[in-house]
Amino acid sequence: MRGWKRGVMIAVMREWRAPLVWGGLLIAFCLAMGELEPFYRLIEPDSRRVIYDRADFLTLLWRHLTVVGIASFFAIMIGVTAAVLVTRPAGRDFLPLVAQLASMGQTFPPVAVLALAVPVLGFGGVPIVVALLLYGLLPIVRNTLAGLEGIDASVLESARGMGMGRMQILAQVELPLAFPVILAGIRTSVTVNIATAALGATVGASNLGDPIISGIVNANTAYVVQGALLIGLLALTVDSLFARLQP
Amino acid sequence: MRSDSPSPNRVLLVLMLAACAAWLGLASVSVAPNRIVPGTAYLAAEAVGWPLALAGCLPMLAVAGLAWRPDERSLRLSLAVVLGLMMWLPLWLAINAMLLIDPDMPQSRLGIGPAVWLLLFLLALALIELRTRLALSRLAGWGLVVPILVTWALCLAWWLAPLALVREYQARSAQFLAAIGHHLALVGAAVGASLVLGVALALAMRRHERLERLGFGVLNFLQTIPSLALFGLLLAPLAWLSANQPWLAALGVSGIGWAPALLALIAYSLLPMVRNTFVALEGVDPGVIEAARGMGMSRSQVFLQVRLPLALPVLLEGVRITTVQAIGLAAVAALIGAGGLGTFIFQGLGQAAMDMVLLGALPILAMALIADALLGALASRLRDGSLTSPGGAR
Amino acid sequence: MIELFEVTKRFANETAVDGISLRVETGELCALVGTSGCGKSTTLRMINRLIEHTAGEIHLDGHPVRTFNEQELRRRIGYAIQSTGLFPHWSVARNIGLVPRLLKWPKARVAERVEELMDLLGLPMAQFADKYPHQLSGGQAQRVGVARALAADPDILLMDEPFGALDPITRETLQVELRALQARLHKTIVFVTHDMDEALLLADRLVVMRAGRIIQQGTPLELLRSPVDDFVASMLGGENRGLKEAALTPVSERMLPLSPRLISRSRVGRDATLHQALAVMFREHADRLTVVDDDEMPVGELSLRRLVGAGREE
Repeated sequence: MRGWKRGVMIAVMREWRAPLVWGGLLIAFCLAMGELEPFYRLIEPDSRRVIYDRADFLTLLWRHLTVVGIASFFAIMIGVTAAVLVTRPAGRDFLPLVAQLASMGQTFPPVAVLALAVPVLGFGGVPIVVALLLYGLLPIVRNTLAGLEGIDASVLESARGMGMGRMQILAQVELPLAFPVILAGIRTSVTVNIATAALGATVGASNLGDPIISGIVNANTAYVVQGALLIGLLALTVDSLFARLQP
Repeated sequence: MRSDSPSPNRVLLVLMLAACAAWLGLASVSVAPNRIVPGTAYLAAEAVGWPLALAGCLPMLAVAGLAWRPDERSLRLSLAVVLGLMMWLPLWLAINAMLLIDPDMPQSRLGIGPAVWLLLFLLALALIELRTRLALSRLAGWGLVVPILVTWALCLAWWLAPLALVREYQARSAQFLAAIGHHLALVGAAVGASLVLGVALALAMRRHERLERLGFGVLNFLQTIPSLALFGLLLAPLAWLSANQPWLAALGVSGIGWAPALLALIAYSLLPMVRNTFVALEGVDPGVIEAARGMGMSRSQVFLQVRLPLALPVLLEGVRITTVQAIGLAAVAALIGAGGLGTFIFQGLGQAAMDMVLLGALPILAMALIADALLGALASRLRDGSLTSPGGAR
Repeated sequence: MIELFEVTKRFANETAVDGISLRVETGELCALVGTSGCGKSTTLRMINRLIEHTAGEIHLDGHPVRTFNEQELRRRIGYAIQSTGLFPHWSVARNIGLVPRLLKWPKARVAERVEELMDLLGLPMAQFADKYPHQLSGGQAQRVGVARALAADPDILLMDEPFGALDPITRETLQVELRALQARLHKTIVFVTHDMDEALLLADRLVVMRAGRIIQQGTPLELLRSPVDDFVASMLGGENRGLKEAALTPVSERMLPLSPRLISRSRVGRDATLHQALAVMFREHADRLTVVDDDEMPVGELSLRRLVGAGREE
């Protein structure tokens, strides 16, 4: 019995190896950044402090995750719902506009969107969440539309012909078939959001972008490297998680 | 469009009612005594009185009414009204400037309020919707934008001196133009370099399967790392290099500045460029290649006269994606001292001077849209075949 | 029983089906034949209300289809189409069990029914139950499609060119199987096809459509013997029509009692068709055949003149 359990554990470990490794490194660096002081001393021999200490790295990571998590959650909810609504007969009128908006919106650089959010919404955490949410909607809407529109018409025809109801077709046929495309959209959205959230440090949000910005402002390359390393690891962890989920 | 009795166009209806609500309910302008102090917001009704403000709703309600029976004629009429409204907005700002700005206070400025931004956005959506419903061509669609841009430009030049954005621009016009030039140079260099490198890499990857896997692995990895982090990570090694290699320092390479920015931009640009080039070259119908071989064309003839021209539209798509992406990333590069329009954004954010942020962000947005439109149009022309007259094929 | 009374379907600016009346008896296989765009698929899809008719009435067993709940109606009617429309994310067994599950049959009964159907359609459970549609060949996928249509044991089956995308050999196999299946199950089937040979082989009643109207209907033999115009005649194969008629007429219909004259060595079964008899004559250079029963006992004779129907009095 124990041997069997261990076998399962090993299999799980193997399947989830990439996210586990990146995530493990991320946590390890967060916890043990101080131990690397000699190395950072090499980069920045003249500075008094070489380890960013205005906030705990784990706290910064947590804030980063919260901002991205909240924004992505709502972006997924709103984006998928909107795309589903405009592909129903009742909302079909809005489909061309929404589709064009979703693809045009993606040419907007995220920095510009973030910058434009500040005059409208002000400084701090909330504007960033809103900006990330709005920007993160676009790939989700676009991919959900592509996924739903890409389903073989004969499959839908036969689903209707078999006597499935609209909700049954949506839940049992359309969404499962569109799922891989939707997930790819979510992956793009979350990846971009992690990167854009880091820029949030310039508009007053405190997250893993903070060490980088303050490192640049104070000409302390060691800070920059610490922030950059952690953001890079975070992005890789999340991306490898999605790569694992993608069928 | 249904031919006999068209059902109401609910999209226009919703857009116009939202526009009315925004017009009446949100601040249309704000007036501030100088660039840092937040201004006092004014509703449209507060500026010109309720009767006139309500009258301002009439054109939008007219479009909403026309949307009730959207046949060809009423859609064209709506298009004219929407265009008119968009051309009227700068005049509205000018009127506000005259009414609300005290000419004796040279520092006082007029801010564009949420109502006007939202109205612009909603009207632009209406324009897109009308363009789709009337099935106007891409060119005609862009033609519609020209009169709008002209009125805005004229108003900005003559009557809108008190506009905050204009004040901000006038204070640093030389710097602004230099920043645009700098931004474009950075984007151009990155796209150019990545085009050459990317095509070369894609060609090499088609030859060697192991290189293909390795190449895509590395590029995907790079693309995953957020831009700010990549800029940051390049900082340390470049700083070290310039400190230890005087000739590099002499070239201007250092930890901050254009060198890490350009490197990072190229690194980001490579993935879309390589991927599209690779897919484009691989995607050519093998039947066509087979036929070309069968006719006795040599390897290089097949490549230059058949494969490359057929792959060009997809390749150009890669250039489009790369360019749009680079325009945005170059803004981030301002953080590490690479210059460009991002400087205004981050300085503005630092000083809480929102007009300066706008001065940086709006041109970036415009550049991205223009690059996207131009390269997109070129790619679709190529796809239609009107530009691919085979040079030496005949 | 399916009845159509003056049924019309108008789309925005064209009339797809123009006042057709039709009656398909219970247990009958009715084939709708015509060139593409003649309205045959539209007619079919109006029966299960995938398309709503504009005017006229459609009755199932005497009740207008409009009085049924749309989804309940469709669950009572089997539906199979050319592109199969199998759900690519579901296994074969799950696909087949769709309608029973929609009807909330108990799990065990669904499983039992799926097994029964896979058996019926020659899809061994062990080999196919857990496969996915993309792992099937065209013929196998179509079998699954038919099994799915039959799953809730509907009285009525609508089939829209179910074998249209298959290669000729597979198509023929499935046609023969469908005929055998129909002989056992006696469903009321409406079958759309543009392949006249398929229609002649399968149909009890043949309906030829053109431009949204029915130009002729009747049994295959009736149509072959007296096509109403050149269009129907050419659809039925022009000059080849005679051979097709021969292929539908059993030897027993033309044979004469054994005559005292010399018995021919060449033989043909009583249940064979005239077409087959002709082939035997051609192959064996004989102008006279002995007709035998299942036990090879002579029961009559057939001459060439008699076969082609030239001289009845001989």
